[in-house]
Amino acid sequence: MNLSKNSTNKGVRLISSLWVVAPLVAIFAGCATAPPEKPKAAATPAPAAAAPPPAWKQGMGADMANSTLAPLAGKMTVTPASDIPINKLKLPPGFKIEVWATGMPGARAMALGDNGKVYIGTRAIGRVYEVTDNGKERTSRVVVDKLVQPAGVAFNNGSLYVMAIDKVLRFDGIDKNASVTPVDLTAKFNLPPEQHHNWKYIAFGPDGKLYVPFGAPCNICELPTAEYAQIRRYNPDGSGMEVLATGVRNTVGFDWHPTTKQLWFTNHGRDWMGDNTPNDTLNLMSKTGLNFGFPYCHQGNLPDNVITKANACQGVEQPIALMGPHVATMGIKFYTGNMFPPEYKDAALIARKGSWNRNQKVGFDVVMVKAGNDGKNPKITPFITGFMNPADQSFWGRPAYLMQMTDGSMLVSDEQLGAIYRVTYSKQQVAAK
Amino acid sequence: MLYLRIATFAFGLICSSATSLLFAQDINTQLLACGACHGIDGNSKIVGTPSLAGQPKIFLENQMAMIREGMRDIPVMKGQLDGFSDATIVAIAKFYASNSIQSQAGTRNQSMYEKGEYISKEALCGTCHLPNYVGRDQMPRIASQSEAYLLHTMRQFRSNKATGRDTIMAASLYGMSDDDLKAIAHYLSQLK
Repeated sequence: MNLSKNSTNKGVRLISSLWVVAPLVAIFAGCATAPPEKPKAAATPAPAAAAPPPAWKQGMGADMANSTLAPLAGKMTVTPASDIPINKLKLPPGFKIEVWATGMPGARAMALGDNGKVYIGTRAIGRVYEVTDNGKERTSRVVVDKLVQPAGVAFNNGSLYVMAIDKVLRFDGIDKNASVTPVDLTAKFNLPPEQHHNWKYIAFGPDGKLYVPFGAPCNICELPTAEYAQIRRYNPDGSGMEVLATGVRNTVGFDWHPTTKQLWFTNHGRDWMGDNTPNDTLNLMSKTGLNFGFPYCHQGNLPDNVITKANACQGVEQPIALMGPHVATMGIKFYTGNMFPPEYKDAALIARKGSWNRNQKVGFDVVMVKAGNDGKNPKITPFITGFMNPADQSFWGRPAYLMQMTDGSMLVSDEQLGAIYRVTYSKQQVAAK
Repeated sequence: MLYLRIATFAFGLICSSATSLLFAQDINTQLLACGACHGIDGNSKIVGTPSLAGQPKIFLENQMAMIREGMRDIPVMKGQLDGFSDATIVAIAKFYASNSIQSQAGTRNQSMYEKGEYISKEALCGTCHLPNYVGRDQMPRIASQSEAYLLHTMRQFRSNKATGRDTIMAASLYGMSDDDLKAIAHYLSQLK
């Protein structure tokens, strides 16, 4: 991935050129610390050709040159239910959580088929799973594999849609014909070439259109072309593309408010800007054409320190809520069922997969956000905790996505262990506590 | 005859120590196959074949899963892991992760070593691989790894041919000269 290749803009080239020559790298990344001793026998290494640092490392400040913070390890092998410490999870009184299905390494977003089958996307392992519930137990199979981060799954009108970084597939009538050959819609969607942050969350809106995000292909940069940091929608066949929002760094979760039908979306803030800035955000798309700030302005009010411009936050949409720095705010679901207590009705449940770019871990939980229909007066409270132990900084699970079942229970995917948990509520469970 | 008996005895020792490290998984057959190239204890004596000993467990698990899935394409490994269950992969990873790596490096070229040390620091390899390059979690140990293998794999990353692997490394080596990579490989292979 060469960011500067197609770039005509100054910001990317600036970062690239800083990375080129070793002594300049020290200015960029290491001047706060003692420079490494120069080799005596050999001359300073020859300058390398223009190249940006890896996308996730861009914007790493001088004060962080000695940092060993790095993205947390995923797991690509099956975790048996007996190895899942589900009893460590804590929920409000009356709620119960159990292992609903396991054995799907990398499980992320879920989509519910017409006949109750659950389809699950992944990233690195390249698979889409299908989970079948016979009422007693769940079994899973791989629907398709060897795709490049097929994180996006959606079910519409009898068809499963799978969106990888470079491919869009539609499986017609998969609930009746398990081995159906997919229709390749890739050409219609005009997917841009950069991979970073271009794994997808996808969903069909109340308007019947397919909503697709296109993340910024870097941690922080001027966009190489305008087709990134956007939310778009398409007709189900890939036609009629519209850009709905710009300046959206990386949203991998959204849902529509049950009353207003407006889109609420989570967004990941940039890395390497300090332990406490910027925040991940929860946002509301009250109309189309709004700008959410990237790369110049974060969380609606915080100008970037690398990619700068005057009045960076002018005209930038304000978030509904700050979700915490580096927490990796992922899936969001408004609760519309009847199983949970009344105060959960129309409240948003949001999975925070957990931070890597922070010295003290945060997130690794599911929270409830209660706000007005217009997003005003948000109140964030814990819903599921216990995936991470703040005392020793260890973690065992990373909640990523939520999906409401027809009985009003809620499924939660754990990307770390490749498992799906089911949350239920009953008054008896309250009494039992 | 004596030699044969010693060999049998030694082999038995290796197998029994391997068995004691494992749980229910019987992976002795698989370990023999892996060991043919990677060394029976995971320290490879074959030039260009990586040592598996002392690698982080998750790194080994993930790479084996990627190779089995066909996501990471290594011609000599093609098909070698077909049919391996996740439990087998975990058991193999546990075996190699618990062995210690021994550098197979030859004579040190001091100027190349120092150049490699310098570039490795400048390129912040230690952020992920840790400052002593012993790796962690999904990120491999690169200290004391085979020099030829390190050079080969870095050339792949540089030319964007290291497909199916962690995208975090994807752009890390863009633009480095071959001499830079040779120096890094020499330096890291010499580390204990």
